[in-house]
Amino acid sequence: MTPTIEVTNLSKHFGKVNAVNDVSFTVEENKIYGLLGRNGAGKTTLMQLLTGQEFASSGTISLFGQPPVENAKVLQNTCFIKESQRYPEDFRPKDVFKTAPWFFANWDQEFADRLIADFRLPLDRRIKKLSRGQLSSIGVIVGLASRAPLTFFDEPYLGLDAVARQIFYDRLLEDYATHPRTVILSTHLIDEVSNLLEHVLVIDDGKLLINEDAETLRNRATNVVGMKTAVEAFIGNREVLHRDGIGGLSSVTVAGLSESERRDAHAAGLELSPVSLQQLIIELTRTETKEFEASA
Amino acid sequence: MTTTTTALAQPASPLKRITRVTKLHFANPWTTLGLPWIILGVIFAGSLTIWWLIYSALSPEQREGALEGTEFGGSSFFIFIYMMVVAIQAISITFPFALGYGVTRRDYYLGSALAFIALAVIYTTGLTVLGAIEKATNGWGMGGTMFAPIYFGESAPERIFVTFVLFLFFLFFGSAIAAVWVRWKATGVTMFFIIVGALLVGLIALTTFTDSWAAVGSTLVDLGVLGVAAWSLVLTAISGFAGFVLLRRATPRNAA
Repeated sequence: MTPTIEVTNLSKHFGKVNAVNDVSFTVEENKIYGLLGRNGAGKTTLMQLLTGQEFASSGTISLFGQPPVENAKVLQNTCFIKESQRYPEDFRPKDVFKTAPWFFANWDQEFADRLIADFRLPLDRRIKKLSRGQLSSIGVIVGLASRAPLTFFDEPYLGLDAVARQIFYDRLLEDYATHPRTVILSTHLIDEVSNLLEHVLVIDDGKLLINEDAETLRNRATNVVGMKTAVEAFIGNREVLHRDGIGGLSSVTVAGLSESERRDAHAAGLELSPVSLQQLIIELTRTETKEFEASA
Repeated sequence: MTTTTTALAQPASPLKRITRVTKLHFANPWTTLGLPWIILGVIFAGSLTIWWLIYSALSPEQREGALEGTEFGGSSFFIFIYMMVVAIQAISITFPFALGYGVTRRDYYLGSALAFIALAVIYTTGLTVLGAIEKATNGWGMGGTMFAPIYFGESAPERIFVTFVLFLFFLFFGSAIAAVWVRWKATGVTMFFIIVGALLVGLIALTTFTDSWAAVGSTLVDLGVLGVAAWSLVLTAISGFAGFVLLRRATPRNAA
């Protein structure tokens, strides 16, 4: 079956800046993807390319088997909620929720009403009088209640407090369980969403660095903690992603360990702990940058 | 718990895709329909007051024809300029919004164009009705003119045509400016007006150096109000087409 998204050698240049640089990947149906990366890494540009809002410099994009640019058949199955999404100034939230169902065939009004209550969103206030967080919650509600087969959230929660963000994650997971669909979520708050994600795409400086199943990625590295001498003896020539130490103690992040290696470590009196997705991505992107600099 | 895989939507009919954008422009009618009529009402109330002051200060013999000059007044002109502003606002604000909803640029533009034609019809109807009342009441009982000034033509059908065509021109000229704004922001709009200004100055210079002001004048007189209005349709069409071409390659951006 055709992947929901198929991207081949995609590039987008703005003058001399390569916002997206020779990126290829596929997105499978009904999975939650995390699109992670630093500010200016090219996340938004990539999402704009995927939704036909931006025009590619080279390469191809296919959504549901067809190119997205100006393709109503494909685009009506998408919903793209941007960071600091703008709304017509004189609109009130209720105008947004009145118009959104015209555009989304799967819109669920009951679900929308529940989310409005969850986020305590005032419906009658003008958009320009809303707080940053309230504005973000409008986008989150539209993105969830639209139930678009392919939903993009680009940093959707600017200004949302921790409670509201948790509501977003919970509702997304619940609704996704009953109405599976493809979600692409771009964010800085990697640890917060790490349990949500099934697949991780990491983009840095326009290049795709990591394209991996979230589970595999989480097993890619382990923290080894113990007496410095024991740790050093254990790691030997292994690739070290990160190294920390206080006095005689040492904490080292190493690439994935096999079962027998884990047993050896325990036998040597070392403590093993998983590395958070955020930590891992920070370290992996750092390493890749170093390698890149070394080879340059 | 039932699990229903989110099915791909049946493609909406092209007409539906276009008309839902049209409806979007009227979802909150404050900017497009509310505010303009309120401002027009305020101007009208102000004019009535002034007319009444003049009227009541004059003796009955002097009243005859005292407000004749208002035939050349331009107090309802604002509404045309304001429609240009409405078009610019409507596009620059709903364009990024609609594209996030998965609307294509083509459907967006056609739906917006339909909304602008609807606005032209609504405002023409309004001005025509008010103009008819004005004529029927002999200028609101005082011989004043606001809604049916001399430049809109002499008969009702003429006024309807001229008003409608003028609304179309300002709305579509506005949509062209909006498309420039959406694509190139302030730099683009500045360049646009420099180019339009240069063209106008060029035309004036050409007319002056070829000594053809008299010819231009007589042509305009020959064309009459109706002819000039009909020719504006050419500019309207160019604006409308330019707006479409520009917007089709535009990308919604957040920053102003």
